[in-house]
Amino acid sequence: MRVVVYVAMASLGVVAGYSAVAQQTAGARLSPPGSGPVLIAQAQAPGGPGVNTTLEPPPPAPAPAAPTAAPTAAPPVSTTLATPPANRVDETALRYFARQGDTARMQAEMERLRNLYPDWEPPTNLLSDEYVPDNDIVRMWELFSAGDFAGARAAIAAKQEADPNFVPSEDLLRSLDLGEAGLRLRNASDAKQYETVISVAANYGDLLTCENVDNLWRLAEAFANTDNKTRAIDAYTYVLTNCEDAAERFATLQKASELLDRSELTTLLELERPGTDGRGEFADLRLDLARRAVAASLDEDGEPAADEDIDLLAEAAQDSDNAEDLRLLGWAEIARDDADAARGWFEQALDADRSAESAQGLATALLDLGDPEQAEDVMADFADANEEMTALYLDAAAALLSLQPRIELEGNVLGRIVDTVMEARNANTAQELGWYAQDFQQPETAREWFTLALRWQADLEPAAYGLMVASSTLGDQATVESIRTQWGARSARIANFGTTTTTQTSAPPVPQPRPAHAPAVVAAVQTTPVAPAQPAVQAVSVQTAPAQSSGSGGSGSRGCANFVPAGSLSAGAALGHGWCLMQLNRPAQAVDHFNRALQSGSERTRSDAAYGLSLAYIRLGLADNAAVAAAAAPVTDRQAIELEIAILSEKAVSAYNIGDYRRALDALDRRARFAPERNDLLTLRAWSYYHLRRYGESRRIFAAVAATGYGDAVAGLQAAETALRAASN
Amino acid sequence: MKVAAMSLVLTMATGIAGSHAQSVILPEEWTSYVDAYVSEEGRVIDTANNNISHSESQGYGLVLSVLADDRAAFERIWSFTNSELLVRDDGLAGWRWDPDATPHLTDPNNATDGDMLIAYGLVLAGDAWSEPSYTEAARSIVTAVGDGMVVEADGMPALLPGAAGFEQRPDGTGPILNPSYWIFETFPVFAELDPGTDWNAISETGIELIRRARITKSGLPPDWLVLGEDGVVRPAPDLPVEFGYNGIRIPLYLMRAGKNAALLDPFRDQSDDQGLYKVDPLSGRKIEPITEPGYRLIVSAMDCVVDGTAIAQDLGTMSATSYYAATLQLLALDFLRRNHPQCLEGAAP
Repeated sequence: MRVVVYVAMASLGVVAGYSAVAQQTAGARLSPPGSGPVLIAQAQAPGGPGVNTTLEPPPPAPAPAAPTAAPTAAPPVSTTLATPPANRVDETALRYFARQGDTARMQAEMERLRNLYPDWEPPTNLLSDEYVPDNDIVRMWELFSAGDFAGARAAIAAKQEADPNFVPSEDLLRSLDLGEAGLRLRNASDAKQYETVISVAANYGDLLTCENVDNLWRLAEAFANTDNKTRAIDAYTYVLTNCEDAAERFATLQKASELLDRSELTTLLELERPGTDGRGEFADLRLDLARRAVAASLDEDGEPAADEDIDLLAEAAQDSDNAEDLRLLGWAEIARDDADAARGWFEQALDADRSAESAQGLATALLDLGDPEQAEDVMADFADANEEMTALYLDAAAALLSLQPRIELEGNVLGRIVDTVMEARNANTAQELGWYAQDFQQPETAREWFTLALRWQADLEPAAYGLMVASSTLGDQATVESIRTQWGARSARIANFGTTTTTQTSAPPVPQPRPAHAPAVVAAVQTTPVAPAQPAVQAVSVQTAPAQSSGSGGSGSRGCANFVPAGSLSAGAALGHGWCLMQLNRPAQAVDHFNRALQSGSERTRSDAAYGLSLAYIRLGLADNAAVAAAAAPVTDRQAIELEIAILSEKAVSAYNIGDYRRALDALDRRARFAPERNDLLTLRAWSYYHLRRYGESRRIFAAVAATGYGDAVAGLQAAETALRAASN
Repeated sequence: MKVAAMSLVLTMATGIAGSHAQSVILPEEWTSYVDAYVSEEGRVIDTANNNISHSESQGYGLVLSVLADDRAAFERIWSFTNSELLVRDDGLAGWRWDPDATPHLTDPNNATDGDMLIAYGLVLAGDAWSEPSYTEAARSIVTAVGDGMVVEADGMPALLPGAAGFEQRPDGTGPILNPSYWIFETFPVFAELDPGTDWNAISETGIELIRRARITKSGLPPDWLVLGEDGVVRPAPDLPVEFGYNGIRIPLYLMRAGKNAALLDPFRDQSDDQGLYKVDPLSGRKIEPITEPGYRLIVSAMDCVVDGTAIAQDLGTMSATSYYAATLQLLALDFLRRNHPQCLEGAAP
């Protein structure tokens, strides 16, 4: 075991009166007067004679203490300063301040002299009239004590110029050296010139005292930043062993915790003393460390939080009702899959702080617990707070709407769901409203919601299926077949609709409770019918299965199905979460997470985040936002091309949907420079020609696509041929 | 002429024993310089540049304090320089100190000429006041410059202007050099102090840069230059293409070091009775005049040293217009009064 001793500091009596160690070594150091270097940091063999300042309190009885020279260990920080004999102490300043009646500065000066000259005793005749100070020398000390070392140096030179016999006291020169060295140490530390910091500290051990604890902190920082954590710990240990000021002791550990790993803090925490309030003096810091560890555990790949950390935080949060801590505990429990415990914390947080953040946590826990009814209720007041809250509210609403057996919702609940869905143009919750209406025997209303959902998200299979079911209920066989044509290739249940006996999996169950009065699902809905011939295009080539038709609030793969606010994740974790949400086809939530990931310090992460963000916007049908997002960080060439293709695909679909067929064709032409057209886009191109009355080109493309077995093209081919015949007639 | 290079140091060394070396800087000149540019805390202030200080201004302040035989000013400036700037791990000085910034050292990169001036001031002080600790402080800076700031340029040993940003680039361009960083009078002194570096060879490189610049259109070296693969002087990339406030020191340094007067020709060719000019080194076009008295004195000094033309009376004493002009004027006056007193006979003493 290496025992490190700050002998020089102790030897100069800096801590005299505080530490037995100091007293012993002071005597030991002085025995060979003024000779040889005195080590500030020194390694000793185990069991060797010496002083131990590490973990144990100083021994009560003096131990023989003869510091031996350091072996050739890590940079020996040594000082060659010798203590001048006490009779050379320059008492000018002391007497001057005494005369001025400036007791504060007199005390400070006395303290300084005592520290420098342990054997020195203050004179008893401080105010003696026999002592006539030299005003020039008084001036030098005044400049010195005002920190104007340059001025003091100039004053000495000026006096020497006037009086060649003048010799400044060694004390004054030494004090100036020390003052300038302290300044240099601080400036070097500010400029992150750590080797200079260490070398100044080595040459001026007197700087390293409890009175100037800042110098010790800076030395520790210099060690920590030059790959010498052990020496950094030694410096902090010195402070915690020898220095008394409570605020400085606390700050010492605080600084250590910023530079050292948590495991490296263990020995320092063991130096804790009881505080005045009976708690340990580092109790708040221990709590903060626990808090940081719990927060870090929420990062992707974060270490799971230790039980004792959670317990410590929980105990404090119970007492303080600190909403942030309460929420942190809630998220920690969510991470530990204990949604019930999480709910308790979030309820307490909401009581303490009725904010969107608290509601968000509580709603997340409630959704995990399968209680969307309460989750929707909790979130209702905060749905407009920001996009993240809106998304969570809509998830809760979707889960509530899809509850089986169906429950009849109060008018005000339904009303606020509808309002939020319309405001957010949220396709998933819109289709859940469709199924809800369908189950309450309102196929007309259901059809409008499904149509709206498809308008907002053209590739949402559950909405297409819902539109098929509602149309079938309404006897609109043409729409049923049109949907079958468009979607049959991608959805088995759509392809097989009506051809097999109805099963629970392919048709939603008939609602159990017949409502006394139909819920006003139709409220505020203004839709236009979907054009029957509209092709459904998957705009995004990086695609995953669409969400299930119901229960999407709690569905999806493990990892991101549970709502986690993007702001609570690290950039890296948010990136992973964003991709996971894309898998679940929740692009709006993914946008939040990719935006969070864009704040990463890693270029790679930012690049991936920009790519993901762009894809998410494409999925949302916001091609312009996608283009902006793609520029948020450099993406790879391959990704840039992929995004360009996807953005142009989306632009083509959007243009087509608003009837701007020329722009649709233009986007397709531009896209064709990067990639061959897929069947769905060829079909879109053919329909665009069709609407522009370029039937010949339309028919040629439909025919070619239909020949590959792509069902969607068949209806188009028929339409084009009909139109051509009509035109030729 | 060569002897003049050492005349300064010799004067100090062989001067009156003790601390009273003969100064030729007039007390009123020095007082007005200190009042205008040296703060109580020992900071030499660049008044034309937002009142910042830099290693160069501190170095000039130290050199001039010794030349003016003002030890109190020297102590003041050295205390500040040592505590505030000489903090780099490599033993050199951070170059830029801003009174309005925290921390004040806003660019910890060094400027090699600032380091050299500080070391030179310390050597002069060690000699003048028989204070070996100054000489030792000088030696450690000179050694650090020799260890870290000497690079090869076209096969010659050259001074890197600073630790960061001037090295040879991966495409082979560079290193970037600044010929005005060759303070010629320092090299013989450094050679004696630090035999580990061939300071005389570095000095020769500086002369060679000035020679090579003569074949350019202006005949002047750009303030910041590189040597091409063909060894030709070219303006450095990404820096202003000009001969300007850096380069105008070169003829002064050449004269103070007693270098061949023929080297002054291109600098004289590009000046007139209005003073020096900022010049486009590629076209030889004069961009703007540089006319403060301190700068005009450099032109007049060249004229007198080469042709014996007397110096106008109004330039014969320092007029404190700006820190930089006043500094160069004091250095020029110190040189003329010691080595060419006849040049100033028409001027007030």
